[in-house]
Order: sequence, then C-alpha cells, then structure tokens
Amino acid sequence: MLATRAEASREAGDSMTITTGDVGVSSVPEETGGKGLKVGALGFISSLVIGVASTAPAYSLAATLGFVAAIVGIYSPAVMLLAFVPMLFIAAAYYYLNRADPDCGTTFTWVTRAIGPKTGWIAGWGILVTDLVVMPNLASIAGVYTFSLFGAHGIAANSSGFWVTFVGVVWLIIMTAICYIGIELSARTQMALLGAEIVILFVFSIVALAKVYGGHPAHSIRPSIEWLNPFHIHPIGALSAGMLLAVFIYWGWDTAVTVNEEAKDTRRTPGRAALWSTIVLLLIYVIVSAAAQAVHGVGFLTSGSNIDDVLNALGTAVFGSPWNKLLIICVLTSASSSTQTTILPAARSSLSMAVHKAIPKKFADIHPRYLSPGFATLLFGIISIVWYVGLDIISPGDVLLNSIEALGFGIAFYYGMTGYACVFYYRKHLFKSFKNFVFIGLAPFLGAVILTVLFVIAIFYYSDPVNSASGNQAWLPFIHFNFTFLHQHFYVKKGLGPPLVLGIGLLLIGVPLMLIWKIRNPEFFQRDRETAESVDSPAPPLTPGVIPVND
Amino acid sequence: MAGDIVLGYDGSDGSKAALAVAVSVARAFDAPLSIVFGYEPNPMGGETADYKHKLEKIGQDMLATALGDAKKIDAGVRAEILVVPMRPVESLLEAAVERQARVIVVGGSGERPIVGAILGSVPHKLLHRSDVPVLVVPAGDE
Repeated sequence: MLATRAEASREAGDSMTITTGDVGVSSVPEETGGKGLKVGALGFISSLVIGVASTAPAYSLAATLGFVAAIVGIYSPAVMLLAFVPMLFIAAAYYYLNRADPDCGTTFTWVTRAIGPKTGWIAGWGILVTDLVVMPNLASIAGVYTFSLFGAHGIAANSSGFWVTFVGVVWLIIMTAICYIGIELSARTQMALLGAEIVILFVFSIVALAKVYGGHPAHSIRPSIEWLNPFHIHPIGALSAGMLLAVFIYWGWDTAVTVNEEAKDTRRTPGRAALWSTIVLLLIYVIVSAAAQAVHGVGFLTSGSNIDDVLNALGTAVFGSPWNKLLIICVLTSASSSTQTTILPAARSSLSMAVHKAIPKKFADIHPRYLSPGFATLLFGIISIVWYVGLDIISPGDVLLNSIEALGFGIAFYYGMTGYACVFYYRKHLFKSFKNFVFIGLAPFLGAVILTVLFVIAIFYYSDPVNSASGNQAWLPFIHFNFTFLHQHFYVKKGLGPPLVLGIGLLLIGVPLMLIWKIRNPEFFQRDRETAESVDSPAPPLTPGVIPVND
Repeated sequence: MAGDIVLGYDGSDGSKAALAVAVSVARAFDAPLSIVFGYEPNPMGGETADYKHKLEKIGQDMLATALGDAKKIDAGVRAEILVVPMRPVESLLEAAVERQARVIVVGGSGERPIVGAILGSVPHKLLHRSDVPVLVVPAGDE
C-alpha cells in the first residue's frame, strides 16, 4: 500500500470520508487513518517529477532557445539564469498564498481576496488567455517534431504548412480528449519519461561540448564565463525581451511549490522537492543553452531554417542519425506533459471562477462519468484549435515566434499580480518577524516589480515590429507614433509588432468582458478585500456556503 | 474469517449490475456491504483542493442513491458508503484492506471496451493487484 500512499492526493484531513448507512453498522471501528492511511501528500520523488515535468524543459528549450539567442546573442545562458530570479520570488508568493487558500483558482482567488474582485477577475482572465496563447505553440512544436521524427524534414520545415497544422490540430484534439476522459500516466511512467528527458538533455550537452573541445566543428565557440554576464546585453529592451522569453521556460515550476510534499517534519523540510527541481532546471537550462551555442555558434541557432526547431537541428548536428531521434522524442513527450499542464489548470481555473460566480455556472460542470471539468475542458480545447488555425492563416510561418513572444506578457502579468496579492494579503504580518518580511514581503514584492518592469519595457520594445522575430510584419497599421524611452528611439511608422498585439490585446479584452459580467451578475463583485488573520491560519471560504475551501 | 463485501460503484451500468450481485453475495455470506467511490484529480496541473471537494460531493450523492438502490433490492442489507480520495483501483484496494474484504465486486467495463483496452480498465487492474478475490459483473442487457 505504500505505493498507493505515495501516489495519493495531497488533500489533508480524513483518510476516508466515511458515511455509514443507517441499516447495520460497520464492524470496523471508525479510526480514520488508523491504519496509517495517510492521504496527505505526495512523496518527494512524485513532487519533484510534477514540478519538473510541468515546466517541461525539453519543450521549453525547443520553443525558446533560438528566439532567445536571436535577441541576446551569446548571452542566452545569462538570461536563462537571470530569469529564474523573479520566478523564485514569485514562488514564495505561491507558497504562502496556497497555504492560506488552496483553491484551484490560484491567482484568481488570491487576487480577489487581497486586492479586490475586479482585479481578481482580470487576473483569472490573465491565466486563461496565457494558457490559450501557448496552445498554438505547443501544437506547432508537436507537428514540426512529429514530421522530423519520421525524417520528413521538408514538411517539418514549413511550420505553417497544411500537414504540420493538421498534425498540430490532431495533437490538440488528442490532448483535450486525454484531459476530458481523465487519462493519467502512472507515477512510474511519468518518472521514466522525465528521467529520460533529463538524461538525454545532459548527454546531448556532454557530447556537444566534447565535440567543441575535441574536433572544432564549423563556427564552434568555446564556452566562456562571460556568457553568464547579463550586463553585456544591450539595449535594455533586448535584455527584458530576452528575460520575458526565458521566464516562460520556468512557467509551471510554481506547481512544485503548491503540491504538498510528504515530509516527516513539515516544518523543517517544506518544499524540498521545489528546491531540487530548481537545481535540476537551472542546470539543464544553463548547460544546454551553453552547449547549444558552442557547437556551431549562435548563428546556427538563429538561422531561418533552424530557429523553429532548434533542438532537431542540434540533435542532428551533435548526435547524427538515428540518435538525434532521441532528442526529438523527448521534445514530444515534454510537449505532451506541457499541453496537459496547460489544459488542466485552464479548466480548473474556469471551474473555480464559475464556482465563485465570476463566469457562467456551466464552466463548473463535472462530467458524471469521467469526473473532469468537462465543459470547460472541451471549450478550451475547441477555442485552442480555432485560435491555432486562425493564427496560422493570419500570420503564416510566424505562429511559433509570435505566440512565444506574446506569452511573456501574460505570464508576467498574472505572476506579478500573485506577488502583489501576497504582499497585500499578509500586509499586517510582514513586520512581525524577519522571516516574514523577507519571504512574504520582500521576495514576492521584488518578483512582482521585476515582472512589471519587464512587462512595461517589453511593451515599448515590441511596439516596433522590427524587434519581433517576425520582423517586417506589423499589425494594426493605423497606429503611428514616435518617442524616446530610456535612450531608445522608437519610431513606429505603421503598426505594432504582433507579439504586443497578441499579448496585450488578449489581456485587454478581459476588461469589457469583466464589466459586462459585472452588470449582469453583480454578485461576485460585492465583496470586500481581506487580509490574513495570521500567517498560518487558513482563509475563510471565498464565497460563503458555496464550497468549503478548507477543512 | 470475517470480511465485508467491497463494491466499486461509479454510477455506470456495469456498477449498477454489480450492486445487485453484491447485495445478493452479502446476503449469502451474511456479510456487511461497503459501497466505495474513489476519485482523485490528476496531480499534474497544480492545485486541486476545491475541485476535490466538488468531486467528493458528487461521490456522496452517487453513493446515497446506490445505498437506496441496495435497500430496494434487499431491505435487510447492512451497508455503508465510502467516498475515498484516491484513484478508483487504489481506493478499492485500500478499502479491501481496511474492511478485510472477502471479495471485491466491480462492474465490467463492457460499455467501453476500446477505452478499457487502451487504459487498462478498473477490473483488469484489480485482477492483477488485488490480494482478495475479485468478482467482475457484466453490465447485462437491461
């Protein structure tokens, strides 16, 4: 039964909810949990697997490496390292807010409590659109790497071609179905897949570096400690755009903090899995990005034919056939866990918003057989497909880069909101101890401020279409302006960069939608801000009587 | 050798057929019946606390109906209902240990054979992992 317990849910409290029928009484005394049945938490390894698999390192690298290099040149490893700082700070906010209120609405619920329902609603919207923005990217990557796997490089090269889009759509359908039906890999299978992913990435790095030092491949460069120096990145706009891209590679890591790890002494070892997943991720990202640019130089990563499927190109260059397939397979398995960890939270956030009457009740529907939030899952899948195909038609060839560059806005927005919410919610307790001040106050606040600054600078940066990887493409051509910001001259002749339009546009659509909902269903918006009673006390239910959030 | 009859119930036709059989088995052995509903959201994808509460409510309602049905079949049945926050197979195995089960009764996944073949159905997994006998009841034609 130990394995069972290790896999069991994180829900604390009673081992079994026992309701005894009135005819005849159970012969076994009701000693819940008396047999050591602790349905309390996940084992260390399971927590670690969830944290790292949710972050999906192979997929994240495949999706960003080329674009980060295109913006910051040889300083990708520095950006990878630096981007973790706000992530770590925000994780502190996740940890403390989740402790008070473990609600699958996460940021939506917390911001609603701490800052107010309107802001909370928009934060929830932020989660949903951010999840939506990444879906075309996942689908494209899945399509491109599927064809690469079977050696159909001609088809894979055209990431907006019919066949790649077709496979991408099939991928989205399958992944939505998996989440709808509630199919799960066993903990052991997940562990094996993730283990393979990590091992392959490290082997790739070692082989790549061995080639660089042993054989001097064309354009190869030897690693230098300078690669870790972010102060060489100019202009500041490039640094922040690079950072926004790199924040994405850590996206999902926060689940490592919110999953409740089983520990002998929870006071002393909270988040051991989170700590270890951090180390694993940092090592992977810094080493792989360094090895990747060492092999054939930065130009190899950013060239037109490689930028979209950079790990495929690198795999071929480093491993040769057929071993390069290993890297492709690990991108695909990584993308599949990433797709799931996008659909599941999107559906659960909608469920939470619906339960608290912030969106129509229908979104909280649970499928009677599969027990998934069926309606929300299906709708999210359908919208993702429409969105993906639509983007492919509007901006052929640029779906990958537009979606990945736009993503940073959404992530920075709702992670930032989480950081501010934490400081607000616990504001009465920040100065009670040094530990409180650092972990509940300073860290979340700094994380939020860093993300806000990145967000604002990136707005200016991407306002000029030249700065987005799609280059000459400009959207909304009726917009003209011209200004200087931080010694940078921005001259927008006509139109904005697509990442800006997508990233900010989708967030802004939430404002009128929120106002419409407020007029029609004012109930959710009639609430006051809350502050924490104490650092350890659970929060009262957000919507009284609807759901007992805490036992 | 004591022991409950442990029944897995999820509201499907197969589990309804299994309920009828389990009630008669319970009577034959003069044993108490434990009706079990197991659920566990995928831990991938972050926080699930309030989602679980919702599922728990669904399970409670479903089992209350099942208990009513069991009494309709045999008014003298001694039955209790258990909502377990674990995956279906794990919850049945755990309940079997806790209740020192004589037998686990489940419905066959007859109505979705393909899904069962791909995923491994509950009865299939139980047959491999259970330490006590497993009785699989086909859904029947009604």
